[in-house]
Amino acid sequence: MRTLAASLLAASILVPAACLAEPATVIRATELKKDPASDAPTVAPLAEKAKVDALERKGGWTRIKTEAGAEGWVKMLALRYAGTGETKQGDSGVAQALNIARTGTSGAQATTGVRGLDPEQLANARPNPAELKKMEGYAASKESAAGFAANASLQPKSIAYPKEGG
Amino acid sequence: MRRIVLLLALALAAAGPAQAQFRLDINRIIDTAKSAQRAAGDVGEKDEIEIGRELASTLLGAAPLVANEAMQRYVQSVGRWLASQTERPDLPWQFGVLDAPQLNAFAAPGGFIFVTRGLLERMRSEAELAGVLAHEIAHVLQKHHLKAIQKSGQVGLATGVLSLAVQDRNSLARDKLIAFGTEMYSRGLDRGDELEADRLGVVIAARAGYDPYGLPAVLQTLQAMNPEDSGLALMFKTHPKPAERLEAIEKQSPLLDAYAGQLQLEDRFSSTLSQK
Repeated sequence: MRTLAASLLAASILVPAACLAEPATVIRATELKKDPASDAPTVAPLAEKAKVDALERKGGWTRIKTEAGAEGWVKMLALRYAGTGETKQGDSGVAQALNIARTGTSGAQATTGVRGLDPEQLANARPNPAELKKMEGYAASKESAAGFAANASLQPKSIAYPKEGG
Repeated sequence: MRRIVLLLALALAAAGPAQAQFRLDINRIIDTAKSAQRAAGDVGEKDEIEIGRELASTLLGAAPLVANEAMQRYVQSVGRWLASQTERPDLPWQFGVLDAPQLNAFAAPGGFIFVTRGLLERMRSEAELAGVLAHEIAHVLQKHHLKAIQKSGQVGLATGVLSLAVQDRNSLARDKLIAFGTEMYSRGLDRGDELEADRLGVVIAARAGYDPYGLPAVLQTLQAMNPEDSGLALMFKTHPKPAERLEAIEKQSPLLDAYAGQLQLEDRFSSTLSQK
């Protein structure tokens, strides 16, 4: 029951997030497809550098909306977000968060407590064996991981690595 | 012959009465062993794991684990399942989420893998998580970090000597390894190593039954962010630009498309991560 509630909650968070329109640019001339498949009917041709809004991803395809208002699917790797030369704005807030932590209210004392993964913080890192032990305590065995995969119907396949450049 | 000299030197060092003397000798042994080790080639798996444990412990010193057991166990399971599909299925694989706001992922020799909370928060499915973990697993398979350490010649890694150095909690050799390790994570690997890890990573994800577009999807998320974002500084400094990585991955389109219908598992991902 709790799992169901959690899934519902998660789904309600996930769906709007996945549908958020993200401005993107088509990097080469291609076709807007009715469905996410190469053999699907073509809705409209797409010119190189066309501006679109990306809506959701499915396998190697992304659903988009063109400036003219047409909707359909395009190969995911034919898209780049916030096209070249444009200024991407915003910040995930890491700098601000750290600045707050650094300056804090208690000044210098707060600085020593700040940990993180910027080069200077890495350079000052000392081993933390207690935390390593904790991680090792959470480890999954080969067998339990196989059960975890089977629960979601993940099927192992035998696939060779590609050669470089291919 | 080299081995005998080394054993003699070790025996002498071990016989040294004072701890200070011992440390001094260890460093001299490491320095003299360096050239021998270059010729000797591969570091044994036991030493590889010990080096990895030390570096993993240091990364955990920079940022501890996120205090969420369900999240940690989930990431361990996804990672272990992926690792089981590789050529080194029996390493003591470990996977953890570091409590850091920056977006990054790390691997240490012997099978120690980390992803940051900042990067995990930007992911949308288990297939995306699998793509990132598989990239890091590929670094371990190809021993990219181990080779970088060996190439530097900064840390003596003759079989046996390093284990000894790591066991001696205060040895200078151990300090050297830690210092070099943190510098390596700040500087990054070779560009070619990163592209190779992408190339292998998408295959490992597909082998495990995931939609192999998970890794490219995360790269697109990074590519969509402001490159000046402070959370991306180290990741962008140590990796080729996302657009370049996407371009290289696109050469594998036929393979990716053959398995693009495999599972993304958005629901298991989001329901697990929303647990406390």
